[in-house]
Amino acid sequence: MKIENTKAQMRKGVLEYCILLVLDGKPLYVSDIIQELKTAKMIVVEGTLYPLLTRLKNDGLLTYKWEESTQGPPRKYYELTEEGRSFLSAMDESWLELVETVAKIKNHEAR
Amino acid sequence: MKKTITINISGTIFHIEEDAYEKLQGYLNKLKNHFGSDPEGVEIVSDIETRICELFLEKGKGESTVVVNEWVDEIIAIMGTPEDFAEEVGTPVSVGAPGKGKKRLYRDAGNQIIGGVCSGLAAYFNIDPLVVRILMVILFFANGIGLLVYLVLWIAVPKAQTTAHRLEMRGKKVDVSSIEQTVRDDNPSEKGTASRLSDSGTPSKGAKIARQTGDALSDVLRGLFKALIIALGIFLIFFAFTGLLAFISSLVIGQTFLSDWPLPMNPDFQVSGILEHFVSRGTVVWGLICIGFLVGIPLLAMLYVGTKLVFNFKSNNAAIGLAMVGVWLLALIAMVVVSSREVSNFKDYTTLSNSETLFPAKGKALKITLGEDKFSAYAEQDLDFERFKMVNKEGRDILLGEPRFDIEKSSTGDCVLVIKKQSRGKNREQANEYVQHITYHYQLMDTVLLLDPWFLLGEGDKWKDQRVDVTLKIPEGMAVYLDENADGILFDVDNVSNTWDREMGGKTWVMLPEGLTMKDSIK
Repeated sequence: MKIENTKAQMRKGVLEYCILLVLDGKPLYVSDIIQELKTAKMIVVEGTLYPLLTRLKNDGLLTYKWEESTQGPPRKYYELTEEGRSFLSAMDESWLELVETVAKIKNHEAR
Repeated sequence: MKKTITINISGTIFHIEEDAYEKLQGYLNKLKNHFGSDPEGVEIVSDIETRICELFLEKGKGESTVVVNEWVDEIIAIMGTPEDFAEEVGTPVSVGAPGKGKKRLYRDAGNQIIGGVCSGLAAYFNIDPLVVRILMVILFFANGIGLLVYLVLWIAVPKAQTTAHRLEMRGKKVDVSSIEQTVRDDNPSEKGTASRLSDSGTPSKGAKIARQTGDALSDVLRGLFKALIIALGIFLIFFAFTGLLAFISSLVIGQTFLSDWPLPMNPDFQVSGILEHFVSRGTVVWGLICIGFLVGIPLLAMLYVGTKLVFNFKSNNAAIGLAMVGVWLLALIAMVVVSSREVSNFKDYTTLSNSETLFPAKGKALKITLGEDKFSAYAEQDLDFERFKMVNKEGRDILLGEPRFDIEKSSTGDCVLVIKKQSRGKNREQANEYVQHITYHYQLMDTVLLLDPWFLLGEGDKWKDQRVDVTLKIPEGMAVYLDENADGILFDVDNVSNTWDREMGGKTWVMLPEGLTMKDSIK
């Protein structure tokens, strides 16, 4: 089993959560989201992000509005919907749970 | 110097170098294939295009505004290829529902013993290859059906050469993730097989030889099959081409300039010239047009199919094909209409009888012989028409008919020659006219009755099934000698011994109370 594969699987699991986290608070343009995720080393190629954004939008967690740009084509600004916000808080909870659980197992507290 | 192309990405115009353009287009096509053509996929690709546009704009600031190859490379590195997406998030960002795709039958190259047919079938039906192999062996002993089935499938079924093929073979959807999965799953096993084969164990060696022989044999059979197809194509092209040539030349030019060629179809006859003597002019023209379509279209179709077989090109000419079929059917209907109209020209018929009592010299049998054939010297059209021929005398076509000669018993005791002429026509008047135009000559000289071998149709008259029946009525006790040359015009002459017309010539016949009797048989 390759470590890259496992890493990819783990990253995949949290990527959607991270996108929601990045968008928490203010509407953002795609390149801003990309910038943040890239800096955090969550993604390497930008193409990965587009299908996820589209799916989250289609699932009703995200919405976007068009904004004119001074140069280039109009931009899509994504933001959380009401549903997205409640989804995010549910995710927050389970993420904390997961981290705690992993920490417990790691420290062999359950033994 | 480099050629640049103007493109429009998300509403912005860019100049792009040709090689860069090709690369960019290839990349975008790859993305389109990956994300699919449903609304979601289209949206994703258009988002990515918008981003590419922005990146180009950012790069173009202050520099030249022409997009170069390196830019495209950078863009692809930033955006990533479908393979990158798969790597980055493990299983992909596949949009459509993953899982089942179209199932296709392949020969399983990774699992083959001879040609991979059995393992391919097993993969297709999702059963153990061993079961299929045992079934195939059982079928092999049933009159060799198994062998036949195996060979046919071996030739017809393609080998699964790529990972995509192997996925289709098992009915799995082909996308980046499933391919990756399969490559991962397949490789260890393939490596295993390979190492096992190289272990030089006797059974493995045997298997290897079987597989190599199988592949070689399969190549040979496929080659033969291909050659056969091409040969068939060449034959079709040749046949259709010469057929068309001969057909057109006989139809339009009416010349036999091809007659010396070694062709399958020779224009032995000049269609248009001959037909005019038989049917009305309008019928000829329309009939020829119809025949042109009726014969020409299938020949063209053969030419087309032949070319397709030889050069193996793919085309989608359903519209043209359907139009051709439509025209052909129209021509068929028109032909039927034209013919039925022509048939009405034969509706009525008239007969005209002429009797003459003959007084041949007594004491000797009346010799019946054919007069000199005055038309044998003229150019003759090769007409395969019953009892008719057409000759060309000094530039004019003359239609000749063969009379029918019969011998009956006279009821009056006299020797009578009855000439009955008959013709058809679209009405009684026309038939009458045609009957009047028929000329037939005979001559009685002493004890010899000279009959003309042909009767003539009126000049310019069309063929309307004209007939001339020549009946000789002889009293009881009278003898006739039928010359050898006369048997050609004999028509179903009743006689006691039921002798066939062709055998009646060269003999003397006597009319007895019971009927015409061969003189030699009377004791």
